[in-house]
Amino acid sequence: MISFDAVNLGYSEVPILENISFHVGKGEFLGIIGLSGAGKSTLLMSIIGNIRVLKGRYQVFGHDLSFINKRDLRELRSRIGFIFQGYNLVNRLSVLHNVMSGMLKDISLGRALIKFYTKQEVDKAYEYMEVVGIEHLAMKRCDELSGGQRQRVAIARALAQEPNVLLADEPVAALDPKSAAQVMDVLRRVNETYGVTVISNLHHLDFAREYCSRIIGVAAGSIAFDGLPGELQNCHLDTIYENNVPAAEEKKTTNSIQTIRGFPEKSHQEQEVYDPMVIAA
Amino acid sequence: MLLLSIIYLVSWFNTEMSVPSLIDGWDHMRSYIVGNPEIKGSSFFPPSFIVSDIRLYAKAMFETIEMAVVALFLSIAVGFPLSLVASRNILKILIPGRGWIARGLRRSIYSSAMLVANVFRSINEIVWALLFVSAVGLGPMAGILALGVHTSGVLCKLLAEGNEAIDPGPVEALTATGASFPKIIVYAVLPQTMPHFVSMVLYRFESDVRSASILGFVGAGGIGFYLFDKVRAFENADVTTIIFIIVVTVWLIDRLSAVIRKKFI
Repeated sequence: MISFDAVNLGYSEVPILENISFHVGKGEFLGIIGLSGAGKSTLLMSIIGNIRVLKGRYQVFGHDLSFINKRDLRELRSRIGFIFQGYNLVNRLSVLHNVMSGMLKDISLGRALIKFYTKQEVDKAYEYMEVVGIEHLAMKRCDELSGGQRQRVAIARALAQEPNVLLADEPVAALDPKSAAQVMDVLRRVNETYGVTVISNLHHLDFAREYCSRIIGVAAGSIAFDGLPGELQNCHLDTIYENNVPAAEEKKTTNSIQTIRGFPEKSHQEQEVYDPMVIAA
Repeated sequence: MLLLSIIYLVSWFNTEMSVPSLIDGWDHMRSYIVGNPEIKGSSFFPPSFIVSDIRLYAKAMFETIEMAVVALFLSIAVGFPLSLVASRNILKILIPGRGWIARGLRRSIYSSAMLVANVFRSINEIVWALLFVSAVGLGPMAGILALGVHTSGVLCKLLAEGNEAIDPGPVEALTATGASFPKIIVYAVLPQTMPHFVSMVLYRFESDVRSASILGFVGAGGIGFYLFDKVRAFENADVTTIIFIIVVTVWLIDRLSAVIRKKFI
Protein backbone atom coordinates (compact mmCIF):
# COMPACT_ATOMS: atom_id res chain seq x y z
CA MET A 1 0.00 0.00 0.00
CA ILE A 2 2.73 2.38 1.00
CA SER A 3 6.21 1.91 -0.32
CA PHE A 4 9.33 3.96 0.19
CA ASP A 5 12.27 3.25 -2.08
CA ALA A 6 15.45 5.13 -1.10
CA VAL A 7 13.41 8.27 -0.44
CA ASN A 8 14.68 11.64 0.78
CA LEU A 9 12.06 13.92 2.33
CA GLY A 10 12.15 17.55 3.39
CA TYR A 11 10.28 20.85 3.63
CA SER A 12 12.92 22.67 1.60
CA GLU A 13 15.88 21.38 -0.38
CA VAL A 14 17.49 20.19 2.85
CA PRO A 15 16.38 16.62 3.55
CA ILE A 16 14.98 15.85 7.00
CA LEU A 17 14.71 12.14 6.33
CA GLU A 18 17.28 10.39 4.17
CA ASN A 19 17.38 7.12 2.33
CA ILE A 20 14.12 5.75 3.70
CA SER A 21 13.10 2.34 2.36
CA PHE A 22 10.27 0.22 3.65
CA HIS A 23 6.88 -1.14 2.66
CA VAL A 24 3.67 -1.23 4.61
CA GLY A 25 1.09 -3.87 3.76
CA LYS A 26 -2.63 -4.12 4.47
CA GLY A 27 -3.71 -4.77 8.05
CA GLU A 28 -0.39 -4.00 9.70
CA PHE A 29 -0.17 -2.20 13.03
CA LEU A 30 3.05 -0.29 12.63
CA GLY A 31 4.64 1.65 15.47
CA ILE A 32 7.24 4.32 14.80
CA ILE A 33 9.56 5.13 17.67
CA GLY A 34 12.37 7.61 18.07
CA LEU A 35 13.48 10.80 19.75
CA SER A 36 11.54 14.01 19.30
CA GLY A 37 12.92 15.72 16.24
CA ALA A 38 14.19 12.48 14.76
CA GLY A 39 11.68 12.78 11.94
CA LYS A 40 8.77 10.59 13.09
CA SER A 41 6.12 13.21 12.41
CA THR A 42 7.75 14.14 9.13
CA LEU A 43 7.50 10.51 8.11
CA LEU A 44 3.77 10.41 8.92
CA MET A 45 3.05 13.78 7.31
CA SER A 46 4.77 12.64 4.15
CA ILE A 47 2.21 9.88 3.71
CA ILE A 48 -0.57 12.45 3.22
CA GLY A 49 1.63 14.41 0.84
CA ASN A 50 2.48 17.31 3.13
CA ILE A 51 6.19 17.07 2.53
CA ARG A 52 8.28 17.29 -0.59
CA VAL A 53 9.82 14.15 -1.99
CA LEU A 54 13.38 15.15 -2.83
CA LYS A 55 14.69 11.86 -4.11
CA GLY A 56 13.62 8.26 -4.64
CA ARG A 57 10.38 6.48 -5.45
CA TYR A 58 7.54 7.01 -3.04
CA GLN A 59 4.18 5.42 -3.68
CA VAL A 60 0.96 5.54 -1.68
CA PHE A 61 -1.96 3.49 -3.06
CA GLY A 62 -0.16 3.41 -6.39
CA HIS A 63 0.11 7.21 -6.63
CA ASP A 64 3.64 8.47 -7.03
CA LEU A 65 3.93 11.30 -4.52
CA SER A 66 6.61 13.11 -6.50
CA PHE A 67 4.19 13.91 -9.30
CA ILE A 68 0.76 13.87 -7.68
CA ASN A 69 -1.77 16.52 -8.71
CA LYS A 70 -4.16 18.35 -6.39
CA ARG A 71 -7.21 16.25 -7.20
CA ASP A 72 -5.42 12.93 -6.76
CA LEU A 73 -3.92 14.21 -3.53
CA ARG A 74 -7.38 15.02 -2.18
CA GLU A 75 -8.59 11.58 -3.21
CA LEU A 76 -5.59 9.98 -1.55
CA ARG A 77 -6.06 11.98 1.64
CA SER A 78 -9.71 10.98 1.82
CA ARG A 79 -8.57 7.34 2.10
CA ILE A 80 -6.22 8.08 4.96
CA GLY A 81 -7.42 8.93 8.45
CA PHE A 82 -5.17 11.13 10.56
CA ILE A 83 -5.19 11.31 14.35
CA PHE A 84 -3.32 14.15 16.04
CA GLN A 85 -1.76 14.48 19.45
CA GLY A 86 -3.79 17.65 20.07
CA TYR A 87 -7.03 15.98 18.77
CA ASN A 88 -7.70 18.94 16.42
CA LEU A 89 -11.43 18.89 16.97
CA VAL A 90 -13.69 21.90 16.61
CA ASN A 91 -14.51 22.54 20.24
CA ARG A 92 -17.62 24.58 19.63
CA LEU A 93 -19.30 21.83 17.61
CA SER A 94 -21.00 18.72 18.96
CA VAL A 95 -19.33 15.32 18.87
CA LEU A 96 -21.72 14.26 16.11
CA HIS A 97 -20.79 17.21 13.88
CA ASN A 98 -17.12 16.56 14.46
CA VAL A 99 -17.51 12.92 13.47
CA MET A 100 -19.58 13.99 10.46
CA SER A 101 -16.78 16.25 9.29
CA GLY A 102 -14.86 13.06 8.48
CA MET A 103 -17.48 12.20 5.84
CA LEU A 104 -17.30 15.54 4.06
CA LYS A 105 -15.92 14.11 0.85
CA ASP A 106 -19.24 12.27 0.28
CA ILE A 107 -21.46 15.18 1.28
CA SER A 108 -22.27 17.74 -1.38
CA LEU A 109 -21.25 21.32 -0.73
CA GLY A 110 -24.85 22.49 -0.48
CA ARG A 111 -25.67 19.96 2.22
CA ALA A 112 -22.40 20.67 4.00
CA LEU A 113 -23.25 24.38 4.13
CA ILE A 114 -26.55 23.80 5.92
CA LYS A 115 -25.22 20.76 7.80
CA PHE A 116 -27.96 18.49 6.47
CA TYR A 117 -27.23 14.76 6.72
CA THR A 118 -29.20 11.72 5.57
CA LYS A 119 -30.37 9.16 8.10
CA GLN A 120 -27.89 6.68 6.66
CA GLU A 121 -25.01 9.03 7.32
CA VAL A 122 -26.11 9.71 10.88
CA ASP A 123 -26.47 5.96 11.50
CA LYS A 124 -22.97 5.42 10.19
CA ALA A 125 -21.62 8.13 12.47
CA TYR A 126 -23.30 6.43 15.44
CA GLU A 127 -21.78 3.11 14.43
CA TYR A 128 -18.29 4.61 14.56
CA MET A 129 -19.00 6.39 17.82
CA GLU A 130 -20.00 3.00 19.24
CA VAL A 131 -16.74 1.46 18.07
CA VAL A 132 -14.81 4.00 20.12
CA GLY A 133 -17.39 4.00 22.93
CA ILE A 134 -18.62 7.59 22.88
CA GLU A 135 -22.11 7.22 21.38
CA HIS A 136 -23.67 8.51 24.62
CA LEU A 137 -21.79 11.79 24.18
CA ALA A 138 -22.99 12.46 20.61
CA MET A 139 -24.82 15.69 21.42
CA LYS A 140 -22.21 17.12 23.79
CA ARG A 141 -19.94 19.91 22.72
CA CYS A 142 -16.33 18.81 22.42
CA ASP A 143 -15.07 21.36 24.92
CA GLU A 144 -17.04 19.49 27.60
CA LEU A 145 -15.09 16.25 27.11
CA SER A 146 -11.96 14.87 28.71
CA GLY A 147 -8.74 14.33 26.78
CA GLY A 148 -9.28 10.59 26.34
CA GLN A 149 -12.84 11.15 25.13
CA ARG A 150 -11.69 13.81 22.68
CA GLN A 151 -9.06 11.53 21.23
CA ARG A 152 -11.74 8.88 20.74
CA VAL A 153 -13.93 11.45 18.96
CA ALA A 154 -10.95 12.15 16.71
CA ILE A 155 -10.64 8.43 15.98
CA ALA A 156 -14.36 8.22 15.20
CA ARG A 157 -13.94 11.15 12.83
CA ALA A 158 -11.06 9.40 11.11
CA LEU A 159 -13.15 6.19 10.87
CA ALA A 160 -15.99 8.16 9.30
CA GLN A 161 -13.68 8.65 6.34
CA GLU A 162 -13.73 4.86 5.89
CA PRO A 163 -9.97 4.96 5.54
CA ASN A 164 -7.67 2.24 4.31
CA VAL A 165 -4.92 3.58 6.50
CA LEU A 166 -5.07 5.29 9.86
CA LEU A 167 -2.12 7.50 10.78
CA ALA A 168 -1.71 8.53 14.39
CA ASP A 169 0.79 11.18 15.44
CA GLU A 170 1.53 10.61 19.15
CA PRO A 171 -2.10 9.76 19.81
CA VAL A 172 -1.64 9.09 23.52
CA ALA A 173 1.21 11.40 24.44
CA ALA A 174 -1.04 13.91 26.20
CA LEU A 175 -3.19 11.35 28.00
CA ASP A 176 -3.03 9.73 31.41
CA PRO A 177 -2.07 6.01 31.42
CA LYS A 178 -5.65 4.75 31.72
CA SER A 179 -7.07 6.88 28.89
CA ALA A 180 -3.97 6.12 26.84
CA ALA A 181 -4.58 2.38 27.16
CA GLN A 182 -8.24 2.90 26.21
CA VAL A 183 -7.26 4.80 23.09
CA MET A 184 -4.68 2.17 22.14
CA ASP A 185 -7.33 -0.53 22.64
CA VAL A 186 -9.62 1.34 20.28
CA LEU A 187 -6.87 1.53 17.68
CA ARG A 188 -6.26 -2.20 18.01
CA ARG A 189 -10.00 -2.90 17.66
CA VAL A 190 -10.15 -0.76 14.52
CA ASN A 191 -7.13 -2.57 13.14
CA GLU A 192 -8.63 -5.99 13.83
CA THR A 193 -12.33 -5.39 13.02
CA TYR A 194 -12.01 -3.25 9.94
CA GLY A 195 -8.62 -4.47 8.73
CA VAL A 196 -7.45 -0.87 8.64
CA THR A 197 -3.70 -0.44 8.51
CA VAL A 198 -2.58 1.61 11.50
CA ILE A 199 0.67 3.56 11.55
CA SER A 200 1.37 5.32 14.80
CA ASN A 201 4.15 7.38 16.32
CA LEU A 202 4.62 6.33 19.90
CA HIS A 203 6.63 7.65 22.79
CA HIS A 204 5.82 4.77 25.10
CA LEU A 205 7.89 1.74 24.22
CA ASP A 206 5.58 -0.42 26.30
CA PHE A 207 2.68 0.45 24.04
CA ALA A 208 4.75 -0.12 20.93
CA ARG A 209 5.73 -3.56 22.18
CA GLU A 210 2.25 -4.50 23.32
CA TYR A 211 0.12 -3.28 20.46
CA CYS A 212 2.19 -3.11 17.31
CA SER A 213 2.77 -5.95 14.88
CA ARG A 214 5.89 -4.22 13.61
CA ILE A 215 8.14 -1.46 14.86
CA ILE A 216 10.25 1.05 12.97
CA GLY A 217 12.85 3.05 14.84
CA VAL A 218 13.87 6.42 13.45
CA ALA A 219 17.12 8.06 14.50
CA ALA A 220 18.67 11.24 13.15
CA GLY A 221 16.70 11.22 9.93
CA SER A 222 17.09 7.61 8.91
CA ILE A 223 15.71 4.22 9.82
CA ALA A 224 17.64 2.48 12.59
CA PHE A 225 15.38 -0.50 13.18
CA ASP A 226 12.65 -2.29 11.26
CA GLY A 227 11.25 -5.51 12.61
CA LEU A 228 8.95 -7.38 14.97
CA PRO A 229 8.53 -6.07 18.50
CA GLY A 230 10.25 -9.21 19.81
CA GLU A 231 13.35 -8.45 17.82
CA LEU A 232 13.81 -5.04 19.37
CA GLN A 233 16.91 -5.31 21.54
CA ASN A 234 18.59 -2.90 23.88
CA CYS A 235 21.34 -2.26 21.36
CA HIS A 236 18.69 -1.04 18.90
CA LEU A 237 17.18 1.19 21.52
CA ASP A 238 20.57 2.67 22.23
CA THR A 239 21.00 3.65 18.59
CA ILE A 240 17.47 4.98 18.34
CA TYR A 241 17.48 7.02 21.51
CA GLU A 242 21.10 8.08 21.80
CA ASN A 243 22.00 9.25 18.35
CA ASN A 244 22.85 12.93 18.03
CA VAL A 245 22.70 13.58 21.74
CA PRO A 246 25.57 15.69 23.04
CA ALA A 247 27.96 13.73 25.27
CA ALA A 248 27.11 15.77 28.34
CA GLU A 249 23.46 14.79 28.02
CA GLU A 250 24.13 11.15 27.47
CA LYS A 251 23.85 9.97 31.03
CA LYS A 252 20.59 11.77 31.55
CA THR A 253 19.18 10.27 28.37
CA THR A 254 19.99 6.73 29.40
CA ASN A 255 18.20 7.31 32.66
CA SER A 256 15.21 8.63 30.82
CA ILE A 257 15.05 5.60 28.60
CA GLN A 258 14.64 3.49 31.71
CA THR A 259 11.68 5.66 32.62
CA ILE A 260 9.90 5.44 29.34
CA ARG A 261 10.20 1.68 29.11
CA GLY A 262 7.61 1.49 31.81
CA PHE A 263 5.24 4.10 33.07
CA PRO A 264 6.89 6.65 35.27
CA GLU A 265 6.85 6.29 39.01
CA LYS A 266 3.92 7.81 40.77
CA SER A 267 5.75 10.81 42.16
CA HIS A 268 6.77 11.83 38.66
CA GLN A 269 3.52 10.96 37.05
CA GLU A 270 2.13 14.46 36.49
CA GLN A 271 5.28 15.78 35.00
CA GLU A 272 6.02 12.73 32.88
CA VAL A 273 2.56 12.39 31.48
CA TYR A 274 2.41 15.98 30.34
CA ASP A 275 5.97 16.06 29.19
CA PRO A 276 6.47 12.91 27.19
CA MET A 277 9.40 14.56 25.43
CA VAL A 278 11.43 13.97 28.55
CA ILE A 279 13.64 11.56 26.68
CA ALA A 280 14.79 14.39 24.49
CA ALA A 281 15.77 16.53 27.44
CA MET B 1 7.95 58.27 27.95
CA LEU B 2 9.85 61.43 27.08
CA LEU B 3 9.08 60.87 23.41
CA LEU B 4 5.38 60.46 24.19
CA SER B 5 5.38 63.70 26.18
CA ILE B 6 7.06 65.55 23.33
CA ILE B 7 4.58 64.19 20.79
CA TYR B 8 1.75 65.20 23.07
CA LEU B 9 3.01 68.73 23.73
CA VAL B 10 3.82 69.43 20.10
CA SER B 11 0.38 68.24 19.07
CA TRP B 12 -1.26 70.31 21.81
CA PHE B 13 0.34 73.56 20.69
CA ASN B 14 0.06 72.92 16.97
CA THR B 15 -3.67 72.38 17.26
CA GLU B 16 -4.02 75.56 19.34
CA MET B 17 -5.58 73.80 22.28
CA SER B 18 -6.02 76.16 25.21
CA VAL B 19 -7.80 75.85 28.50
CA PRO B 20 -8.40 79.63 28.88
CA SER B 21 -10.43 79.81 25.68
CA LEU B 22 -12.69 77.06 26.98
CA ILE B 23 -13.16 78.99 30.24
CA ASP B 24 -13.70 82.27 28.36
CA GLY B 25 -16.15 80.68 25.96
CA TRP B 26 -18.08 78.82 28.64
CA ASP B 27 -20.70 81.56 28.82
CA HIS B 28 -21.27 81.43 25.06
CA MET B 29 -21.98 77.73 25.29
CA ARG B 30 -24.32 78.29 28.18
CA SER B 31 -26.26 80.94 26.29
CA TYR B 32 -26.40 78.65 23.22
CA ILE B 33 -27.88 75.87 25.34
CA VAL B 34 -30.30 78.19 27.16
CA GLY B 35 -31.25 79.91 23.92
CA ASN B 36 -32.99 83.20 23.41
CA PRO B 37 -35.84 83.43 25.93
CA GLU B 38 -37.83 85.58 23.49
CA ILE B 39 -37.88 82.90 20.78
CA LYS B 40 -39.91 79.82 21.58
CA GLY B 41 -38.09 76.52 21.11
CA SER B 42 -34.62 78.04 20.84
CA SER B 43 -33.56 76.51 24.15
CA PHE B 44 -32.34 72.90 24.32
CA PHE B 45 -34.48 72.42 27.43
CA PRO B 46 -37.22 71.51 27.74
CA PRO B 47 -37.28 69.31 24.66
CA SER B 48 -40.10 69.67 22.22
CA PHE B 49 -43.02 67.32 22.82
CA ILE B 50 -45.21 67.85 19.79
CA VAL B 51 -46.62 64.40 19.08
CA SER B 52 -46.77 64.76 15.30
CA ASP B 53 -43.12 65.84 15.25
CA ILE B 54 -42.03 62.97 17.48
CA ARG B 55 -43.89 60.59 15.17
CA LEU B 56 -42.04 62.10 12.22
CA TYR B 57 -38.66 61.73 13.95
CA ALA B 58 -39.44 58.18 15.03
CA LYS B 59 -40.28 57.33 11.46
CA ALA B 60 -37.00 58.86 10.31
CA MET B 61 -35.16 56.94 13.03
CA PHE B 62 -36.80 53.75 11.80
CA GLU B 63 -35.63 54.56 8.29
CA THR B 64 -32.16 55.08 9.71
CA ILE B 65 -32.22 51.61 11.27
CA GLU B 66 -33.46 50.13 8.01
CA MET B 67 -30.57 51.80 6.21
CA ALA B 68 -28.16 50.27 8.70
CA VAL B 69 -29.73 46.81 8.25
CA VAL B 70 -29.46 46.88 4.46
CA ALA B 71 -25.97 48.35 4.65
CA LEU B 72 -24.90 45.69 7.15
CA PHE B 73 -25.92 42.81 4.88
CA LEU B 74 -24.20 44.51 1.99
CA SER B 75 -21.02 44.89 3.99
CA ILE B 76 -21.09 41.28 5.22
CA ALA B 77 -21.55 40.11 1.64
CA VAL B 78 -18.48 42.06 0.58
CA GLY B 79 -16.45 42.11 3.79
CA PHE B 80 -16.66 38.44 4.74
CA PRO B 81 -15.24 36.95 1.53
CA LEU B 82 -12.70 39.74 1.47
CA SER B 83 -11.68 38.90 5.05
CA LEU B 84 -10.97 35.31 4.01
CA VAL B 85 -8.41 36.36 1.43
CA ALA B 86 -7.07 38.98 3.82
CA SER B 87 -6.12 36.27 6.34
CA ARG B 88 -2.78 34.65 5.76
CA ASN B 89 -3.72 31.34 7.32
CA ILE B 90 -6.92 31.02 5.25
CA LEU B 91 -5.01 31.84 2.06
CA LYS B 92 -2.68 28.99 2.90
CA ILE B 93 -5.62 26.58 2.77
CA LEU B 94 -6.78 28.02 -0.54
CA ILE B 95 -3.32 28.09 -2.11
CA PRO B 96 -1.12 25.56 -0.33
CA GLY B 97 2.51 25.03 -1.12
CA ARG B 98 5.88 26.52 -0.37
CA GLY B 99 6.98 27.16 -3.95
CA TRP B 100 7.66 30.72 -5.07
CA ILE B 101 4.56 30.74 -7.31
CA ALA B 102 2.24 29.81 -4.45
CA ARG B 103 3.95 32.25 -2.10
CA GLY B 104 3.88 35.10 -4.60
CA LEU B 105 0.24 34.44 -5.42
CA ARG B 106 -0.67 34.40 -1.74
CA ARG B 107 1.21 37.61 -1.09
CA SER B 108 -0.32 39.47 -4.02
CA ILE B 109 -3.88 38.37 -3.17
CA TYR B 110 -3.33 39.27 0.46
CA SER B 111 -1.96 42.72 -0.32
CA SER B 112 -4.64 43.57 -2.85
CA ALA B 113 -7.40 42.50 -0.43
CA MET B 114 -5.76 44.59 2.28
CA LEU B 115 -5.44 47.56 -0.07
CA VAL B 116 -9.12 47.42 -1.04
CA ALA B 117 -10.16 47.08 2.60
CA ASN B 118 -7.96 49.96 3.66
CA VAL B 119 -9.30 52.28 0.97
CA PHE B 120 -12.89 51.36 1.90
CA ARG B 121 -12.17 51.86 5.56
CA SER B 122 -10.02 54.95 5.62
CA ILE B 123 -12.52 57.08 3.68
CA ASN B 124 -15.18 58.28 6.06
CA GLU B 125 -18.86 57.41 5.56
CA ILE B 126 -19.71 61.07 5.02
CA VAL B 127 -17.22 61.33 2.16
CA TRP B 128 -18.53 58.13 0.61
CA ALA B 129 -22.05 59.52 1.05
CA LEU B 130 -21.10 62.72 -0.82
CA LEU B 131 -19.73 60.60 -3.66
CA PHE B 132 -22.78 58.37 -3.81
CA VAL B 133 -25.22 61.30 -3.56
CA SER B 134 -23.65 62.63 -6.71
CA ALA B 135 -24.20 59.23 -8.34
CA VAL B 136 -27.65 58.11 -7.20
CA GLY B 137 -29.08 61.39 -5.94
CA LEU B 138 -30.41 62.42 -2.53
CA GLY B 139 -32.01 59.80 -0.31
CA PRO B 140 -31.34 56.72 1.78
CA MET B 141 -29.80 54.70 -1.07
CA ALA B 142 -26.71 56.91 -1.16
CA GLY B 143 -26.41 56.52 2.60
CA ILE B 144 -26.77 52.75 2.40
CA LEU B 145 -24.07 52.47 -0.22
CA ALA B 146 -21.78 54.76 1.77
CA LEU B 147 -22.24 52.76 4.96
CA GLY B 148 -21.96 49.48 3.07
CA VAL B 149 -18.64 50.36 1.49
CA HIS B 150 -17.07 51.80 4.63
CA THR B 151 -18.29 48.98 6.86
CA SER B 152 -17.14 46.25 4.49
CA GLY B 153 -13.65 47.67 4.84
CA VAL B 154 -13.91 47.71 8.61
CA LEU B 155 -15.49 44.25 8.80
CA CYS B 156 -12.82 42.85 6.51
CA LYS B 157 -10.12 43.96 8.91
CA LEU B 158 -11.96 42.88 12.07
CA LEU B 159 -12.99 39.47 10.71
CA ALA B 160 -9.56 38.83 9.23
CA GLU B 161 -8.05 39.35 12.67
CA GLY B 162 -10.51 36.78 14.01
CA ASN B 163 -9.67 34.36 11.20
CA GLU B 164 -5.98 34.63 11.87
CA ALA B 165 -6.49 33.83 15.53
CA ILE B 166 -8.15 30.45 15.01
CA ASP B 167 -6.69 27.17 16.20
CA PRO B 168 -5.04 25.65 13.11
CA GLY B 169 -5.66 22.09 14.38
CA PRO B 170 -9.14 21.48 12.96
CA VAL B 171 -8.10 23.01 9.64
CA GLU B 172 -5.14 20.66 9.52
CA ALA B 173 -7.40 17.73 10.39
CA LEU B 174 -9.94 18.52 7.68
CA THR B 175 -7.25 19.15 5.11
CA ALA B 176 -5.95 15.70 5.97
CA THR B 177 -9.38 14.20 5.21
CA GLY B 178 -9.20 15.66 1.72
CA ALA B 179 -12.05 18.13 2.23
CA SER B 180 -12.32 21.01 -0.26
CA PHE B 181 -11.76 24.69 0.61
CA PRO B 182 -15.42 25.72 1.14
CA LYS B 183 -16.04 22.69 3.33
CA ILE B 184 -12.99 23.46 5.44
CA ILE B 185 -14.30 27.01 5.89
CA VAL B 186 -17.75 25.77 6.92
CA TYR B 187 -16.57 23.00 9.26
CA ALA B 188 -13.27 24.16 10.67
CA VAL B 189 -13.08 27.96 10.37
CA LEU B 190 -16.62 29.31 10.79
CA PRO B 191 -17.48 27.33 13.92
CA GLN B 192 -14.39 28.77 15.54
CA THR B 193 -14.84 32.37 14.42
CA MET B 194 -18.60 32.47 15.01
CA PRO B 195 -18.56 34.24 18.41
CA HIS B 196 -16.11 36.83 17.09
CA PHE B 197 -18.09 37.19 13.86
CA VAL B 198 -21.39 37.76 15.66
CA SER B 199 -19.84 40.17 18.11
CA MET B 200 -18.15 42.23 15.40
CA VAL B 201 -21.21 42.31 13.15
CA LEU B 202 -23.41 43.46 16.01
CA TYR B 203 -20.90 46.13 16.98
CA ARG B 204 -20.78 47.35 13.40
CA PHE B 205 -24.58 47.38 13.25
CA GLU B 206 -24.70 49.61 16.28
CA SER B 207 -22.09 51.94 14.86
CA ASP B 208 -23.82 51.90 11.45
CA VAL B 209 -26.97 53.17 13.16
CA ARG B 210 -24.94 55.93 14.79
CA SER B 211 -23.27 56.87 11.52
CA ALA B 212 -26.52 56.63 9.57
CA SER B 213 -28.03 59.18 11.91
CA ILE B 214 -25.67 61.87 10.65
CA LEU B 215 -25.52 60.85 6.99
CA GLY B 216 -28.62 62.99 6.52
CA PHE B 217 -26.30 66.01 6.89
CA VAL B 218 -25.24 65.50 3.29
CA GLY B 219 -28.68 64.48 2.13
CA ALA B 220 -28.15 60.76 2.32
CA GLY B 221 -31.36 59.92 4.17
CA GLY B 222 -32.29 59.06 7.74
CA ILE B 223 -32.88 61.10 10.84
CA GLY B 224 -29.75 63.20 10.20
CA PHE B 225 -31.67 65.30 7.72
CA TYR B 226 -33.97 66.58 10.48
CA LEU B 227 -31.14 66.91 12.95
CA PHE B 228 -29.12 69.09 10.59
CA ASP B 229 -32.18 71.08 9.61
CA LYS B 230 -33.10 71.85 13.25
CA VAL B 231 -29.51 72.64 14.23
CA ARG B 232 -29.25 75.19 11.46
CA ALA B 233 -32.62 76.72 12.24
CA PHE B 234 -31.72 77.03 15.95
CA GLU B 235 -34.82 75.02 16.83
CA ASN B 236 -32.91 73.52 19.68
CA ALA B 237 -35.82 71.99 21.57
CA ASP B 238 -36.34 69.72 18.57
CA VAL B 239 -32.62 68.95 18.44
CA THR B 240 -32.82 67.64 22.02
CA THR B 241 -35.80 65.47 21.12
CA ILE B 242 -33.98 64.01 18.13
CA ILE B 243 -30.79 63.37 20.10
CA PHE B 244 -32.86 61.72 22.80
CA ILE B 245 -34.49 59.42 20.22
CA ILE B 246 -31.07 58.48 18.80
CA VAL B 247 -29.58 57.79 22.24
CA VAL B 248 -32.52 55.60 23.28
CA THR B 249 -32.39 53.67 20.01
CA VAL B 250 -28.66 53.03 20.25
CA TRP B 251 -29.08 51.95 23.87
CA LEU B 252 -31.86 49.53 22.88
CA ILE B 253 -29.72 48.08 20.09
CA ASP B 254 -26.86 47.66 22.52
CA ARG B 255 -29.08 45.70 24.92
CA LEU B 256 -30.41 43.56 22.08
CA SER B 257 -26.87 42.85 20.87
CA ALA B 258 -25.84 41.71 24.33
CA VAL B 259 -28.70 39.20 24.34
CA ILE B 260 -27.87 37.88 20.87
CA ARG B 261 -24.15 37.71 21.62
CA LYS B 262 -24.76 35.54 24.67
CA LYS B 263 -26.37 32.90 22.48
CA PHE B 264 -23.24 32.54 20.35
CA ILE B 265 -20.52 31.89 22.89
